[in-house]
Amino acid sequence: MATTLAGVSVSTARAAPAAGATRPVTTPRAAFPLVRFPRRAGSRLAFARAAATGPATPSNISDKVSESIKAAEEACAGDPVSGECVAAWDEVEELSAAASHARDKLKGSDPLENYCKDNPEADECRTYED
Amino acid sequence: MAICTVSTSHSLHSTCYISAPTRTTAHLGFHQRQVIFYTGGRRSARRGGIVPSVVTCAAGGANTVVIGLAADSGCGKSTFMRRLTSVFGGAAEPPRGGNPDSNTLISDTTTVICLDDYHSLDRTGRKEKGVTALDPAANNFDLMYEQVKALKDGIAVEKPIYNHVTGLLDPPELIKPPKILVIEGLHPMFDPRVRDILDFSIYLDISNEVKFAWKIQRDMAERGHSLESIKASIEARKPDFDAYIDPQKQYADAVIEVLPTQLIPDDNEGKVLRVKLVMKEGVKYFSPVYLFDDGSTISWIPCGRKLTCSYPGIKFAYGPDTYFGKEVSVLEMDGQFDRLDELIYVESHLSNLSTKFYGEVTQQMLKHADFPGSNNGTGLFQTIVGLKIRDLYEQIVAEKAATPLEAAKA
Repeated sequence: MATTLAGVSVSTARAAPAAGATRPVTTPRAAFPLVRFPRRAGSRLAFARAAATGPATPSNISDKVSESIKAAEEACAGDPVSGECVAAWDEVEELSAAASHARDKLKGSDPLENYCKDNPEADECRTYED
Repeated sequence: MAICTVSTSHSLHSTCYISAPTRTTAHLGFHQRQVIFYTGGRRSARRGGIVPSVVTCAAGGANTVVIGLAADSGCGKSTFMRRLTSVFGGAAEPPRGGNPDSNTLISDTTTVICLDDYHSLDRTGRKEKGVTALDPAANNFDLMYEQVKALKDGIAVEKPIYNHVTGLLDPPELIKPPKILVIEGLHPMFDPRVRDILDFSIYLDISNEVKFAWKIQRDMAERGHSLESIKASIEARKPDFDAYIDPQKQYADAVIEVLPTQLIPDDNEGKVLRVKLVMKEGVKYFSPVYLFDDGSTISWIPCGRKLTCSYPGIKFAYGPDTYFGKEVSVLEMDGQFDRLDELIYVESHLSNLSTKFYGEVTQQMLKHADFPGSNNGTGLFQTIVGLKIRDLYEQIVAEKAATPLEAAKA
């Protein structure tokens, strides 16, 4: 069992992709942990979810998300219930979901983990129970 | 399994299909043929490009169990899928060597396809017409039905791929009939033809308050997003959501409702959740889970002398109810697990879980403690529904295996 992240709520800055120069260098990942961390000392159960930090969204998707938001705001400026406006916000949702999935994929792509999936018997892949 | 080879085909009793799903591949404009012969589970395919015509021999007719999972975008379908495929053993992964933006997940037993792949309008098309992806007009239900039906009947299909990054329809991928096919997306129960071929269906019903909290958590750090943009997106999509997605829940065999807690007065943080599992009565191969006594009405606070819980505690409720005029059983959990003994204690008081050994629910929850919702009712009920689907699948397979024997005896 992993060590327990008791009472930890981290808000670490994510490194932003090295894209356009006008962009801020870091994007803070806001800490909105829906999952409360175990408070009880000595708890062995790692129910905590390290939700506060994670990989940054790949720049191509990140750009699309911010562009789509701008486009939606413009499309709705004239008529907030037009088909054009609604479709534009739907595109924002679709891209935001794609960004989230892309981050999840990166989370699971640890090079050592990938190697160990294919070579579980290798020395560097051994795990020890305490 | 079927013993079905070309040389013994004369002895088969109508388990071979010859089908030409023309519309399936019409958009590709190819006219080459692919023939697939099933030989007792193994498949020798002579690929000539696309699949306009397929000959299939399958065991006792249909052999793929089809499950539908409906929910809005960003409401936990992916997490549910990971829990479900885990119950069946083996991790589900994208098709090897295929399109890296494929939406499909494949494990030994299960294939999960995303219904966004049946968008008839791509992102540009929807923008031009001013329709959302939630609108049936943006989706090709004829193709969805044909391909899901073909897979259920044991026939491979060339399914389109909707690329969520580019917003375009990519070249199709070959989907072979799995043991269990899950179709997840916005509209699995919208078209009556598709609905009728589902062996089991689930709807994830996320209340507005929780949806907003989840999307803040997902999007707030994304450049360009703000509370206003998150709110605007939810509100703009709501009329189509209410018109086309939400009504599907009346057809679901199981509904997981996610609501704000009632343990903390006036809580609107969305951190603690109250989750209800609505289970339809009288569904073949599915018998609802119950607390203490089947059919009674029970309110249960497990925290007390035997089990100490931290604030705000845990509360369960169970009882019969009606849902869209149909008889259901409802199991409800408010609060969250902070410790392992709480989860085990609760599992030991639930009945009809379809576990294979004592503690299997707890084991599954611990295995994926890093998934969202692993300490509350969403994780618990998703795991339970996963176990019920495994049980349903095993019953269907057992029944199929028994049928030819009875026929032979008669």
